[in-house]
Amino acid sequence: MKRWYNIATMVVITVMVLGVAWAPRPAHAEEPSIIKIGVPTAMSGPAAAWGQAGKAAYETWVEVFNKAGGFRVGDKTYHFQVIHVDDKNSPEGGAAAAKQLIYGEKVKFLAGHWTWNFPAIAAVSNPAKVIFMTRTGNEAVPGGVYNPKKMPYVVFANPSHEQFTSDCLAITKAFPKYKKIGILDCTLGKGIGWDYVDAALDKEGVRYHHEWFPVGTQDFAPYITRFAEAGCDIVYVAGWIGEAMAFAKQRWEMGYKDMRVGHSGPFITPLAYLGVCGKEAAQGFIGQYWACWDFKVTKVKRTYVKMCKEVMEILSEKQGKPFVYTGWIGWLPSHLLILSQAMEKAGTVDDPDAIMEAIRGGTFETTTGTWTMSGAETYGSPIVFGCPSALSTIKGDKEVYLSEYPMKPLP
Amino acid sequence: MRRIFDYKTLIPRWIAVLLAVPFIILPLFTTNLATLSMIILSGIWAIAAMGFTLILRTGQFSLGQAAFMAIGGYTSAILTVKLGWPFWPSFLLAGVVAGIIAMVIGSVVLRVGGVYFSIITLALGEVIRIVAMQWEPVTRGSRGLITGPPDPIPLGVFEINFAVSAVPYYYFMIVLVAVTGVIFWQIGRSRLGGTFFSIAANPILAEHQGIHLMKYRVIAFTIAGVFTGFAGSYYAHFLSTMTPYMLGLWESIQIMIMSIVGGVSSLVGGPLAGALVLYALGIYLSRLPVYGIQQLLFGAAVVAVLLFMPKGTGLVDLWDKFWRKVFREPEFYEIPSVE
Amino acid sequence: MPPAGIWIDGLIQSCIYMTMAFGMVLVFSILGILNWTHGQFYMLGAFVVYYAFTAVGIPFPVAMLIAGVVVGGLGMLVEKLIIERVNIPSAQGALYVTVATMALIFFFEGAASMLFGMQEKGLAMVFPGVLDLGSLSVSYQKIAVIIFTLIIMTAMYIMLNRTKVGLAIRAAAQEPDAARLYGISVKRTSLLVMGIGCALAAMAGSIMAPVYAINPFIGRIPMIMSLLAIIIGGLGSLTGAIVGGIILGFVNSVVAYRLSYFSEVVLFAFVIVLLLVRPQGLFGTPLK
Repeated sequence: MKRWYNIATMVVITVMVLGVAWAPRPAHAEEPSIIKIGVPTAMSGPAAAWGQAGKAAYETWVEVFNKAGGFRVGDKTYHFQVIHVDDKNSPEGGAAAAKQLIYGEKVKFLAGHWTWNFPAIAAVSNPAKVIFMTRTGNEAVPGGVYNPKKMPYVVFANPSHEQFTSDCLAITKAFPKYKKIGILDCTLGKGIGWDYVDAALDKEGVRYHHEWFPVGTQDFAPYITRFAEAGCDIVYVAGWIGEAMAFAKQRWEMGYKDMRVGHSGPFITPLAYLGVCGKEAAQGFIGQYWACWDFKVTKVKRTYVKMCKEVMEILSEKQGKPFVYTGWIGWLPSHLLILSQAMEKAGTVDDPDAIMEAIRGGTFETTTGTWTMSGAETYGSPIVFGCPSALSTIKGDKEVYLSEYPMKPLP
Repeated sequence: MRRIFDYKTLIPRWIAVLLAVPFIILPLFTTNLATLSMIILSGIWAIAAMGFTLILRTGQFSLGQAAFMAIGGYTSAILTVKLGWPFWPSFLLAGVVAGIIAMVIGSVVLRVGGVYFSIITLALGEVIRIVAMQWEPVTRGSRGLITGPPDPIPLGVFEINFAVSAVPYYYFMIVLVAVTGVIFWQIGRSRLGGTFFSIAANPILAEHQGIHLMKYRVIAFTIAGVFTGFAGSYYAHFLSTMTPYMLGLWESIQIMIMSIVGGVSSLVGGPLAGALVLYALGIYLSRLPVYGIQQLLFGAAVVAVLLFMPKGTGLVDLWDKFWRKVFREPEFYEIPSVE
Repeated sequence: MPPAGIWIDGLIQSCIYMTMAFGMVLVFSILGILNWTHGQFYMLGAFVVYYAFTAVGIPFPVAMLIAGVVVGGLGMLVEKLIIERVNIPSAQGALYVTVATMALIFFFEGAASMLFGMQEKGLAMVFPGVLDLGSLSVSYQKIAVIIFTLIIMTAMYIMLNRTKVGLAIRAAAQEPDAARLYGISVKRTSLLVMGIGCALAAMAGSIMAPVYAINPFIGRIPMIMSLLAIIIGGLGSLTGAIVGGIILGFVNSVVAYRLSYFSEVVLFAFVIVLLLVRPQGLFGTPLK
């Protein structure tokens, strides 16, 4: 009896072992590969507000993007991962940030860049064959340092100079009876970029007047008086938030209540403007608008609108109060969509030359609309994206749509 | 009985030389651009800090050294970009021009002493920045100049190519720091250095002894200007860009802090130690994700060094202290007291 | 002739530079050091008053006094813990104090960035409204600045010339050894003066907080301006600080109106020439 018992046990064990060895294994979920994106941006110092405002939004958007399936090249799925490094808005900081991202963190691309150190970062990224998605402006302007032969891996995913011109046109569209647009910039920004913008504005017949203020100015009374004497009834500040707020407040207090003020940058939150300028002085403040669900002229793909709205909801929940900053929509998400579509088109994630080939002159659908890369003649290579140039204004304590002047393709 | 050799001074010296070896062979182990960059830039700032310390040796406190870096940087940038000169003559000329300007400015300005001199150098630094920004035809204003790497140097079959990797930059920096260090060290030990010292220690006595104060102050200021100009030129070419805002008051303050924290008692070791430690500290701090903490910790670190080091010394004196402990020598600090 | 608005603007700037310069020169007279952190106390005063007013709801004038006391106390702490220990009697002391106070600039800016965030904050709701004077208008906030400066300067005058404390301060500043013989503790007086100087900076920052915006970097320019003001007026002179502040404020506004951003060059060139021709400024004691 015992012998049968032993044989039976051995048979059962053998069957079990064989069964386990030959059982069909459950299919492992395919692990998506990670594409690392480096974001050199100002996280400290006076320009940090924008860099910091975007960080949480970018990381959330990447989560939403990855959750929605990421993107596929060939038969592999890819997800993005963003790494922010402070570039201190200076050439030394930018070079150090680029080096840390490329050689330390081993990122594949640099994107979401908007600070003032384009040449220093391009000097690091081009030899390393890392595609650098940034904005025009600073040195990246026709007649500036950008040279498609010397810098083959640069994409101007945000056409800032061109956007400024379109913003001015959007202003004239919103206020057809305007007298003159005053353009205020810090001496930091003086250069041929403005010659380029001026030429474009002249071509469109816009009346304008330039003024410059030294770095660190808080007292704008002299400049307000000069603009008033020059006959400007709208003053559009080239990007300096704190200074634009100060300007708006001081012009109201000096009695120039009919002078409209705006800045070529998004509102981080209208409440800050009410707090700094005063409720009345802040009314009608003009800023750049990136809420893609509100665009009246530019069409944005429904999926992307939904994704952006989802990000806003997640962030509102996280911080316990409504998250109203929309500036992030026009930057890194748009850059990443261009990159992913280019990689899909090129059929590779590893060949920067092929990816650049796919980007040049290509058409891409992003969170800010569908645009074709242009600028073959102006910049020497068609790598300048477009933009809706939507403007908003402060009404009450909210930001509301004002007008839009989609950028025309560059020659 | 005579000692055959004085081991108490030789051993620390040889170990100091040995300390340099890891730096020299580092590129054999890593060509990571981030690491090499950090050391290259520390070296550049160290040279500027050596210049500051030299001027300090004569009793003057210059808050405008970054401006001389800017002068050197702009000179070589203008020569290479606008006139098409090759890098090496432009580099040399950058130092010469910075030195000449230092001599001219020094002759006029060094006559006022103490805090007034500091303020004038501060103001001059700002004026140079403003001039660089306004003189558009030459400096391209706020946009700055974009420089390129030095041309490849053929060496028989090989070629030292700056455009391809940072290693040539690294070795050139080591050579530059070594040359500057040796020159400054010799100055410190020579009669000239002794004269500088006496001017700082007691100007009235020095004058009574027939030393022409202004002449030596201007000499020190000029020498510092020349080497700071070299540093600036190298800086501009390494970063590929030269803008008016890169080298201003806050960079002059940075140079001063590196020199003092490193230790003013040493003309070469002090600035080197100060620049390396503080620059590396800065880089590591900037990797912390909490923004603002970098500035806070940097400021706190500098204050801590000032508070806890014996008065008048800096990091480099820790080296001296260590060896004296090893050889059980009584402590003896030479504090160059400056007026 | 610049319009009235520019002159009023110049007046406001003068008030602030005057107050800041006065505080800085007080500290210099007794302690013999230039406090480079002076601008940071201006910034901290603005933040203290911001949180006192918006988060706790303290009425603005009281919040200003609180800012003065708190930041003045902080200044005294800095003096005791850092400056005293670093200020060795030889001339190197001045050097180390300079480095320490410059390092503290970074420290306070970093601390403010971390604690308060880098976004602009405003106090536009304090003294809102504008006084209409026909062709020009002046905001009540600016009028408050003028009133504040008058009060503060009068208070300083009374304190320095009519009280025992003021007498002690003046004695310690002019003849420290003789003062000690009379039983005045120069050390304690110095500490008190540091507190007063920093409190002045903080209150200047507080009263200006509603006029401009608040962020961690607003201290840099006021510090440089107060430095230039005391250079113009003369390093040891209290009257000099006031006159220097007035000159600087008006020149800055008028020149900026006329020459826009060239005002920077004019200012620095003027200071350089002044330092070469007459380093002791308008009211300082001539150098040997």
